[in-house]
Amino acid sequence: MIKNKTFTVAILGNPNSGKSTLFNQLTGLRQKVGNFPGVTVEKKDGKVTIANGLDVKLIDFPGTYSIYPTSKDERVVVEILCNPNHEDYPDAIIYVADITNLEKHLLLLTQLQDLGFPLIVVLSMSDIAVRDGLSLNLKALEEQFHVSPIQLNGRTGDNLALLKSAIEEIVKAIPTKAPEKMFYQPSEIEKQTIQRITNTIPVKNDYHALLLAHHHQWLKNLNPEEHFALNRITQDTGFEDLKLQIRETMQRYDRYTPLLARIVKAGKTNNHLTELADSILTNRFWGIVIFFLLLFFMFQAIFSWSSYPMDWIENSFGYISSVIKNNLPSGWLADLLTEGIIAGLGGVLVFIPQIAILFFLISLLEEVGYMSRAVFLFDQVMQRFGLNGRSIVALVSGGACAIPAIMSTRTISNWKERLITIMVTPLISCSARIPVYTVLIGFVVSPTPVLGIFTMQSLAIMGLYLLGVSSALIAALVFKFILKSDGQSFLLLELPEYRFPSLKNVLITVWEKIYTFITEAGKIIILISIVLWFLASYGIPSQMKAAEKEAIVTAEARTLNEIEKEDLIAAKRMEASFAGQIGKTIEPLIKPLGFDWKIGIALLTSFAAREVFVGTMATIYSIGSQEDEYSVRAKLANERDPVTGKPVYGLATSLSLLIFYVFAMQCMSTLAVVKKETNSWRWALIQFTYMTALAYLGSWFVYQLFS
Amino acid sequence: MKKLLSNLAPRESGVVESFTNDQVGSKLLTMGMRPGTCVEMVRFAPFRGGCYVKAGECCLALRTNEAACILLEA
Repeated sequence: MIKNKTFTVAILGNPNSGKSTLFNQLTGLRQKVGNFPGVTVEKKDGKVTIANGLDVKLIDFPGTYSIYPTSKDERVVVEILCNPNHEDYPDAIIYVADITNLEKHLLLLTQLQDLGFPLIVVLSMSDIAVRDGLSLNLKALEEQFHVSPIQLNGRTGDNLALLKSAIEEIVKAIPTKAPEKMFYQPSEIEKQTIQRITNTIPVKNDYHALLLAHHHQWLKNLNPEEHFALNRITQDTGFEDLKLQIRETMQRYDRYTPLLARIVKAGKTNNHLTELADSILTNRFWGIVIFFLLLFFMFQAIFSWSSYPMDWIENSFGYISSVIKNNLPSGWLADLLTEGIIAGLGGVLVFIPQIAILFFLISLLEEVGYMSRAVFLFDQVMQRFGLNGRSIVALVSGGACAIPAIMSTRTISNWKERLITIMVTPLISCSARIPVYTVLIGFVVSPTPVLGIFTMQSLAIMGLYLLGVSSALIAALVFKFILKSDGQSFLLLELPEYRFPSLKNVLITVWEKIYTFITEAGKIIILISIVLWFLASYGIPSQMKAAEKEAIVTAEARTLNEIEKEDLIAAKRMEASFAGQIGKTIEPLIKPLGFDWKIGIALLTSFAAREVFVGTMATIYSIGSQEDEYSVRAKLANERDPVTGKPVYGLATSLSLLIFYVFAMQCMSTLAVVKKETNSWRWALIQFTYMTALAYLGSWFVYQLFS
Repeated sequence: MKKLLSNLAPRESGVVESFTNDQVGSKLLTMGMRPGTCVEMVRFAPFRGGCYVKAGECCLALRTNEAACILLEA
């Protein structure tokens, strides 16, 4: 087959081998993140220019221990390497091996060689090798394993030029590369199987045939006849998948370990710092204390550091829309631009500071090597709720914003555990609920001081947070029993040595997350904002006109000033708009919860983002020009039921509304991210439905109890 | 004396003899733990969680049921 695509080089290696650092060194920001076709496994590819302007495509494959996969990420690697027609099938491989633990890293290396790939071997962690006094006979390594290794310090990027010229050599040498003899010596059964497969199915070489025998049950690129043939052959020859796999792995170790003794002179492992740090950080007691201190710090950072850039973004967008309003003739175009598109864009961008800070801190902890320790500490507790140790990161981040939290679940390799984490994270009260809590809590409890440092109100807000956390855990437990598990769940986690973080890696991760958020979720958020804007500003024309007229008459009768008059017109217009109609239509539905049509509109617009509640209430109660929590609260306090004359925001209604905001999925940005992360609308819909049901039932219960 | 890794006390060590579960065994093999590897129990996780072990040059976190698949000569 003729390939007229760019020369593709895969970067492969064990997890924690320094693979991604190398990838970032080579590509910098010339990389993009996506998924491998058909699966939700992250794929990073980028371009690197080698000599004379020739571009080579680099793909950073997920970290893999061997060609016998045990996780979804590893499966993708094997799936591609076993399918020469795959669009990501590499022409050559850069294999990154940790110099301090070559014995482990040579396993996959010899497997890739047997698959017939031209290889460049990069030896990483040379700094640690120097520290430990490890010496390496490169010449012997070259002779024994037929590779020309390049020693590279990923942090400084020494020898990068050498690597580029090695890539260039491979690009040129490709047609002359002859397959070498297989490192692995197969048993009789394997030989027979390979022979029969080679006669039936087009394969690249013997080892490719052997891997088809091992993996045919789940490889998706095989056609039905091939599946059938492979089933036949493996049954006929008595091919025992797992047994033979262990035989192969053992034989590889047994064959190369003696060779290695001549190549590596081990020094004295000098990881006292890691041992010392872990004796505290993974201590049963101090480990937990330090973890929560770190969380507290993270939380604090997200709240306090992000408020300045968030204010700045909000103000800039406010400024832009006022400029547009002043310079465009007023009409639907100006409104669409300011209240639809710019408001939507602002709603997207305002989350960026939080996302950036959260991922900066998380990827810093990841780079240092702390994250795997946190996973170790909490794995057991999380497992009881159907979650994974890594879920704790998402649950905590959810306290700031569910969007980055859900994006951080990618590190969970078990699909069921990851899905449950995604499904329950939005139940954790995020920062957008705070303005709503602030407005309403005053109607539920008085600010009586408690114990001198707290007030009843702050305790009540704390209670709402606890309600969120406990409902998330209970929901997780329910999902644990409903969802089918795919494959066994493992911990089996490597705890790498602590390392000084690479700022470049951290910043690239932050950039990537922001970029993904803007391009993927942003589109949907803006679209929905436009729809909501339309619903809230348009209605049946005759009714809208009548509402406006009525407002003007009322305003004149009450001798209101210009601003008050504008506010009243806006209120009446919203009442007559489609959103107002919908609010009135759903009123019977939300009446049992103690809500009137005005709250109905706010619930509807809150779907754009929860904090919109305050703004909507301000518009409905015709104080649109003073859109802050305190004036809204004052207005609500005076609101009386037109029939009974009692305050609308009594204990029952306020409490019911609070409960609704704790549980309800009112964030289209989150739904958009869930859709993106799960690759289907299905889970986003399920999440929306179950959370709304929870909110409805919760509010109904509370309202009936207190009214 | 033969012992399961999960039964070691902290600071005790042994040499891997075999794996009692092929699935866990095959995964451990690829992570560098194999018969002949020296394993030390470093500490246990809180809440009766998994264990922190040192296998050769490598530190690993295992669940208790995973550690129970590793038979040692201790």
